[in-house]
Amino acid sequence: MSSAFDLALRAEQLGQLGRLAEAERAAREALAVDPENPRLLGTLSSTLLLAERYDEGLAVAEAACAAGPGLERPHRLRALHLSMLGRHAEAVQAGYAAVTIEPAEPAAAHGYAKVLQRAGRPLDAVRVATRVVELDPDSASAHLLLADVASDLKDRRHRELARREYETTLRIDPENAAAKHDLALLDARSRRPAKALAGLVQAGRLDPAMPQVLRTVVAVLWQLSWRVRIWLIVGTFPALAVAATPAVVVRSYAGFVLVATAALGWWTSRDLPRGTWPVLRRAVTTDRPLTVTYAALALCLLVYLSVVVTGFGLAAVAVWILLIALGWLAVFVRVVRRAPR
Amino acid sequence: MTDPLLTSLLAAVEAAPADVPLRLHVAELLLSRDRAAEALQHTSTALSHAPGDPAALALLQKVTKALADPPNPPTNPLPTVHPPTQPFPVRSLPQPTEGDPAAFDWGHAEEQVRDISPAPAFVAQEGDPVTEDVERATRPSVRLADVGGMEQVKERLELSFLGPVRNPEMARAFGKSAGGGLLLYGPPGCGKTFLARAVAGELGASFTEIGIADILDMWVGNSERNLRAVFDAARRKAPHVLFFDEVDALGQKRSHLTHSSTLRNTVNTLLAEMSGENAGVYVLGATNHPWDIDSALRRPGRFDRMLLVLPPDEGARAAILRQNLEKRPVEGIDLAKLVKATGHFSGADLTHLCDTAAERALADSMRTGQVRPLTMKDLQAALAEVRPSTGPWFATARNVALFADHDGSYDDLAAYLKKHRRL
Repeated sequence: MSSAFDLALRAEQLGQLGRLAEAERAAREALAVDPENPRLLGTLSSTLLLAERYDEGLAVAEAACAAGPGLERPHRLRALHLSMLGRHAEAVQAGYAAVTIEPAEPAAAHGYAKVLQRAGRPLDAVRVATRVVELDPDSASAHLLLADVASDLKDRRHRELARREYETTLRIDPENAAAKHDLALLDARSRRPAKALAGLVQAGRLDPAMPQVLRTVVAVLWQLSWRVRIWLIVGTFPALAVAATPAVVVRSYAGFVLVATAALGWWTSRDLPRGTWPVLRRAVTTDRPLTVTYAALALCLLVYLSVVVTGFGLAAVAVWILLIALGWLAVFVRVVRRAPR
Repeated sequence: MTDPLLTSLLAAVEAAPADVPLRLHVAELLLSRDRAAEALQHTSTALSHAPGDPAALALLQKVTKALADPPNPPTNPLPTVHPPTQPFPVRSLPQPTEGDPAAFDWGHAEEQVRDISPAPAFVAQEGDPVTEDVERATRPSVRLADVGGMEQVKERLELSFLGPVRNPEMARAFGKSAGGGLLLYGPPGCGKTFLARAVAGELGASFTEIGIADILDMWVGNSERNLRAVFDAARRKAPHVLFFDEVDALGQKRSHLTHSSTLRNTVNTLLAEMSGENAGVYVLGATNHPWDIDSALRRPGRFDRMLLVLPPDEGARAAILRQNLEKRPVEGIDLAKLVKATGHFSGADLTHLCDTAAERALADSMRTGQVRPLTMKDLQAALAEVRPSTGPWFATARNVALFADHDGSYDDLAAYLKKHRRL
């Protein structure tokens, strides 16, 4: 029969492999042998944290704290469970207890930074995450943590810090899909949608099971559609202004709009990796309002094409109508999606 | 039957167990007296004291040959072995006395323990149940013909794996390697393990299923040792199919295992063992998440062929449903209708469906006290409860086909998803 210590080691190993049911079983078997052991309680609590069973995990973490009040890990686990349950004030206290017990332990500081981040204290989180990097400079997860907490702050200095840290993470661990995804998100926020799309496709390749990649691609495509709408709104003013001029002028201007739109499209998509188009097509069809938006934008370009063919400048009014309708649609979608459920 | 020389020499061996030349001399004497089993024990003990000793190795060969080809019943009397005229070169032998173990009646003792089977010459190390599994593995009787439906999978299996293995020369002529492993992937419960058994049956090879629990050990270095032992045992047992179930756990991307050097080393060992000399060892793996496997494991010589095992097609569903229902009291089952209604159900889902329907009929029978056969109504009610468990897998698989098919690895998957309008 395996000893409680063996079983705890096994539980931790299985937890690392994501086999949470087996890890939980091993941890509970170990606890049946030695129910007061804080290390075993910590192992079970950590497994429950990975399994997102925070209520149960918190109870076990509290038992671990009672069994070993001088140990750092039970306090850290308690803090993380409390944080996930939205009990931020208690979580911060527990996290602080963990770093007080072992100030030089990177895992303790890592947990505390996460707790501070979720508690809405990004500046403090950045300070603690910086300490994590100092304690463990070669760890990709330490740099990723600092990048994540820094990216929560909107100012330029922290954005630059986040970008540097994401890049360091990827230098240490080039296959880190989370870092790739988050860096792409940062690019999207910095209004670099093409770069963001390229990063997202690479993140998807590194970890195709990551569900948020396609959602982020949809968000970036909304951002791109906004750019195209702005360009078409701006472009339609002169189109209407020249509507009464000779047909050759009207045709030339409509042709210019089409060529400029194509050039903008090429400029945006020139660095996209191979195999991006199926992803974009899928993303557009996943989100119905986005499908409608891109269909309407394609219709706007068809209107311009008809102007090139017919020389009838007033047809550009249809572009205005379509863009106004799209504006309303975007407002409606935004309101509905931001409404609390 | 006492032999004073041998008796005294055996006593000497017992007094000086580490004396290799003495033990070998005794073993030779035992062999010459047709006591090869005892000679083998002494030779093995001598080898454990002096591994690689040329005299011991030569004697071991003689002893094993004697054991393999037992001599014909002697027609002539055995040649007499004369006691050495000179004292034994290593030590002078003590004279046996009355109270000595040398005076012990070995013949009588042998009579007493005759019914006890002799211990194996090389005892398997304790804690190696997985090696024992390989040693005891048998050839599965199941063949591909026993797999209901799944014609496409069987055809691809034949073309990409079984064909080259059966015709290595022809495969080589076309630049295809007969070596390397086969990775079966697909949603859970769709018969990957059964297919692997059928492959072993087709190859006429013994089969061992290796799970993560057989390999992983919490102590540093033991997981790697277990893995090496499994491959060594399989090489001794060739032709042998080693089937790694849920291979994504053992061969996870090393970049995901930065916090565990043990697990990383296990992946490295798996890579090394798969690249080694594995003549007659066919390595098969099964996973629900091939995208989580370390890319090095998919390189030539390792799991260089992938086969998508999809939920059972109509033929396979009919076979599974029939198998699940035939031992139960049934009435008016429209199998064709049932097959149509169970698209995307895995084999395990179909079994669950039949069990749920059977539970309803059983509950009814218990209420009324009379056996009521299972009907279509029970199955339709069960259909409302049991949903195909393959849904979440296909949700992830869709992302995989979108993002990760840049090298064509998932072409089969993409084609299936397109055909079923899921991509």
